[in-house]
Amino acid sequence: MTEASQKIDTAEKREPRIGVFVCHCGHNIAGVVDVEEVSEKAKSLPGVVFSTHEMFMCADAGQQLIKDKIDELKLNRVVVASCSPRMHEPTFRRVCESAGLNRYLFEQVNLREHVSWCHMRQPEAATEKAWDLVRMAVARARQLDELPIKQVDVTPRTLVVGGGIAGLRAALDIADRGFEAVLVEKEPELGGHVRKWTHLFPADESGAQVISPLIRHVERHKLIDVMTNSKVAEFGGYIGNFDVKIENLKTHKTKTVQVGTVVVATGFRPFEPEGYYAYEQSENIVTLAQLQELPPRAELRRPSDGRIVKKLAFIGCVGSREPGKKGHEHCSRHCCSAVAQASADLKDRVDEVLILYQDIRTYGRGHEELHRLALSKHVIYSKFPREEKPTVHVDDDGNIKVTWTDVLTGDQLEFEPELLVLATAMIPPDDVAETANLFSLTRSGDGFFNPEHIKLAPLTTHTAGVMIAGAAQAAKNASESVIDASGAAAKAVGLMARGKVEIESTVSHVIPELCSACHTCITCCPYGAIAMDEEHDPPVAYVTEAKCHGCGTCAAACPSNAIIMYHSTDNQIMAMIEAYLCPTDMEQQGGN
Amino acid sequence: MSDKKAINSAMVVGGGVAGMQAALDIANQGYKVYLVEKSPTIGGRMAQLDKTFPTLDCSACILTPRLSEVSRHPNIELLAYADLEEVTGTVGDFLVTVIKRSRYVDEEKCAACGDCTEVCPVEVPNEFDRGLGIRKAIYTPFPQATPNIYTIDMENCIRCKRCVSECQRDAIDLEMQDERLEFRVGAIVIATGYEMFDVSRYPRLGYARIPDVIDALEYERLINAAGPTQGHLIRLSDGKIPKSIGFIQCVGARDVAKGVPYCSRVCCMYGIKNAVMAKEHYPDAEVNIYYADIRAFGKGFEEFYEMARTRFGVNFFRGRVAEVTRTQEGRLAVKVEDTLSAKPMEIEHDLVVLSPGIVPPQDLLRLSEKLGVSVRNDGYIDVSHHYFGPVDTRIPGVFVCGCADGPKDIPDSVTAGSAAAMKATIILSHGGQSS
Repeated sequence: MTEASQKIDTAEKREPRIGVFVCHCGHNIAGVVDVEEVSEKAKSLPGVVFSTHEMFMCADAGQQLIKDKIDELKLNRVVVASCSPRMHEPTFRRVCESAGLNRYLFEQVNLREHVSWCHMRQPEAATEKAWDLVRMAVARARQLDELPIKQVDVTPRTLVVGGGIAGLRAALDIADRGFEAVLVEKEPELGGHVRKWTHLFPADESGAQVISPLIRHVERHKLIDVMTNSKVAEFGGYIGNFDVKIENLKTHKTKTVQVGTVVVATGFRPFEPEGYYAYEQSENIVTLAQLQELPPRAELRRPSDGRIVKKLAFIGCVGSREPGKKGHEHCSRHCCSAVAQASADLKDRVDEVLILYQDIRTYGRGHEELHRLALSKHVIYSKFPREEKPTVHVDDDGNIKVTWTDVLTGDQLEFEPELLVLATAMIPPDDVAETANLFSLTRSGDGFFNPEHIKLAPLTTHTAGVMIAGAAQAAKNASESVIDASGAAAKAVGLMARGKVEIESTVSHVIPELCSACHTCITCCPYGAIAMDEEHDPPVAYVTEAKCHGCGTCAAACPSNAIIMYHSTDNQIMAMIEAYLCPTDMEQQGGN
Repeated sequence: MSDKKAINSAMVVGGGVAGMQAALDIANQGYKVYLVEKSPTIGGRMAQLDKTFPTLDCSACILTPRLSEVSRHPNIELLAYADLEEVTGTVGDFLVTVIKRSRYVDEEKCAACGDCTEVCPVEVPNEFDRGLGIRKAIYTPFPQATPNIYTIDMENCIRCKRCVSECQRDAIDLEMQDERLEFRVGAIVIATGYEMFDVSRYPRLGYARIPDVIDALEYERLINAAGPTQGHLIRLSDGKIPKSIGFIQCVGARDVAKGVPYCSRVCCMYGIKNAVMAKEHYPDAEVNIYYADIRAFGKGFEEFYEMARTRFGVNFFRGRVAEVTRTQEGRLAVKVEDTLSAKPMEIEHDLVVLSPGIVPPQDLLRLSEKLGVSVRNDGYIDVSHHYFGPVDTRIPGVFVCGCADGPKDIPDSVTAGSAAAMKATIILSHGGQSS
C-alpha cells in the first residue's frame, strides 16, 4: 500500500490569491444569469485578486486564460463558475495542474444545472443565487488545502466473470494482447446461451459453429485460466489490486487470485412467461429461446406429440415494453430480428407462419433484409394494438387459438397454430443482485448493470477497474456482445499496460488519538473501506484509501469527531455556510 | 520493409466520437496514434448536436472533455485538416502518406484570439450550422474546436490581408503550402462516420422547395444555444414561434427505391428527442411524430419513448407521409394516413422537420480503394465476420468502427471504437502478427 495516510499541514497555508472565472456557457448560463455582475461583485471578496467572465471556460481559450492568470498573478486558488463538476472538474483540475497548481486548490461552482437551467424564468433570483454560490465557493477556496496525488500499481491480470460469448471474447483478447485472464463460469461448460442455439442471425450459422472455435482457443491459450463450475465467492480490494476468492461449486474448494481489473460478462436470462398467453397450459407454447434449442431436423415437430407443425405463430414483446412494470419496461432488442430470421427459416418447412408484433425493430446490419426475406416468403406480419394484447386459448384437446385485432384493418382475427412461440424478454440472471453487490455495481430500471456513462462510457462502471460487457449491460444480440467484449478488454488492458493508476485523495481519515474504537464507522461504511488496526495500541479504525469513495458517511456518524474528510473538512463547510449567511463586510471582519 | 523493428504506432482515420475513442484506447496502452481528420476540427457530427438521447445530456458538454483529452494526450498526434493520400505495405508495417492542407495560419503561432475573424469582411454560410448562420472566410467551426486554430477558407478569401495585419502574432501566411507527411504504422482504424441523406431527393416532402420544411440537423442547430438563433426555436421564413411542429421519420431510410434499404438506427430516437426538445421550448405547442415503426431498442430508449408520449405529450402517428404542401396562410399541410385508425388525415403545422437517414460519406469509396478494403452494396465498409471479426475488415491490420461500417448510435460507436482499438493493439503488441 502506498498510502501512509498523509496529513496535510494546514498551518503553513499561503495567503490565498484567488482567481474567479465565470462562464457564459454560450447562452446556457449568460442567457439567465447576469454573469458580468457576478464576476464584477466577486472582485470585492476577500482573497480574490482577479475576476472575469468568458464565453466558454472549457474551450482552449478559457483554459489558456486560467493558465495565464495563474502565471501572471501568482494565483494559488482557482474558482470556475460554470457547469456541473461532473462535467468539467477533471478539465479544470488538469488546467490548474499544468500551471503548477495542485488540483485540489481548484473549486467549481455549478451555475448551469443548479442555477440557469432550473431557474430559467427568474433571471434576477437566479443571478442572486449565482452570487451566493460564488461567494460560498470563494470562502471555501480560502480554506482549501493541497492534497497529494497518489498512484497504485495495477496487477497485470484480469478476472472475467461469465463464460458466454462475451466473456470468452474478452478473455481471448486480453490474453492475445499478452495479459493473463482468469475466466470464471458457474456452469460445467463454457459457451453460455449461444452454444445451445441452432440459429444465429443474421449470419446463417448455428451457435455451436460460432462458439466452438472460441472455446477451443480459450482452452488452449496458455495465459487463460479457465474455471468452470465456479463462482466468485468474495471480492475485495480496489482498482489495480483486487483480491478474488473463487469457489468451485462441486468440490467447494476455494482459490484466491489477485487481479488488477475485472470484466463482468454475466449475461442474461430468457424470461419465463408465466401468466402470459396461456404459456403454462400447453407444451406447444414455447419461448423463442426454447425454439432455438429444439434439435435441428428436416421438419418442425411440436413438443407435445412430435406431430409435424404446419401452422406456426410468433408473438412479440412478451415481457418487454410494458410501461410501469418494473424490470419489463425495456425493449429486448434482439427479438424482432431473431423472429424475422426464425420465421424465414421455418417458412420452408411449414405452410403458414404468422407474426404478431407491436413495432418491427430490425435495426441492424442485415436485419432489415431478414425482415424482407420473411415477407417475400409470405410470412404474415400483423400488428396488434399496444393497449390490447392478443389472447390465447387452449381448449380441452390442446388446440391453441390466438385471437387479436389487426391494427391495419381493424379486424378481429383468429389463428390456430400447432406451435406458438413467445418472443420473451431478456432479463438479468437470477443472481444479478448478488453480482451487483459483489462488485458494487448499480443497476438501471431494466435490471441490468449501469455503465459509467450511458453515452460515452458504456463499458466502464462506477467501480473503478470493473468493466461490463455484453448482455450484462443491457439486452443485446450476440454480435453486439462480441464488440462489447473487445471494447471492455481494451479498457482493462489500458489500465494494465500503464501499470499504474491514480487514485483520489478526497477520502476520509481517522485521527487515531480521537478514535474510541466504537466501530460505528466500520458498520456504516458502504464500501467496506474501514477496518480496525489491531496492531495499533489501543486498536483504532483506519481507512483503506483506495477503497474509500469519499462519501462522508463515516465522518457524519463518528461520535468522537475523529474522522476528517479531506477536501470537505468542517472548516471548509463552515466557511461556506458563513459566507452564505453573512453579508460580505461582516464576513470580512468576523470570518477567516 | 527496411528494418524489422516492430512499429509501435497506429493510425486512426476520422476524428468523430468513434475515432477519438479508438485513438484514446490505443494511446492509453502506450502506443503512438496518428489521428487523421479531414475537417479543421475533431468532434465529428456529435459536435453539431444539441442534446443527446436518452438522457438529454447536452452534446457539447459531454463531448468537450473528450476533445481536450485527445488534444493533450502525449501519445496522440492530431493531424486535422488533413487527407489520407496513400497507404502501402501490409499488416504490422504500413507506410502512410497524408497531405496536411494549408490553413494559411501557423498552428504554432495562432492563439485563437479571434482578432482576425473580427476584421475579415467576407461572410459565408457556416457549414457547421448547416448554412443557417454565417462565418467569416477566416474561422473556427465552433468555439470548442480542437485544435483551436483559425483556418482560412481560400475559396472565399478575397486576399484583402486585413487579418494578416491585424494578427499580433504574425500567424497568418497567405502563401502557406500544403504539407506532405509520411509515417509508418502497424495498424489502421477507419472511423470515417456518415453523412445525412439528402432529403431534397423526396420532392413531395417539400424540402428546399417550401419554406419552413427543414432537416433534423438544421433543427439541432436551431435549438442550440451556440447556434445561429442562440437557441431560439423559430421559423426561418418569418421569425415566428412555431405553435405546431411535425417530425417526419424515415426520410431516406428503409427505402429500397432510394438506394437506402437499411434502417438508420438513430432517427427514431433523435426524432423523439427533437420532439421532446420542442415541448421543452414550447410546452403548449402541438408536436407530432409521423413514423413507420418506433425503433427504441437501446438501453433506456423504450423508457424515453414512453416518457415522450406520456410526460411530454408528444403525439405519435403511424404512417408514411405522402406529401407536404403549403397552405394559402403559409402553413404546412402534412398528408398522411394514420394506419392505426386507417384514417387519411391532413394536419397543418408551422414547422416541419424531416428526420433523414444516414448514408456513407461520399469519399468513403475512394478511401476504401486506397486501403484495399471492400465495401458492401449499401456503401459501407464490409466486416470480415459478424462474430469472429465484427470490427475487422478483410485486410489484416485494418479495422473499422463507428458508422463507417453501418449506422450506429453514440454508445455503439464508442464501444466499437474501443473494440477496434483492442484489435489494433493486439497487432501492435505482436509486431504485426494477429496473435
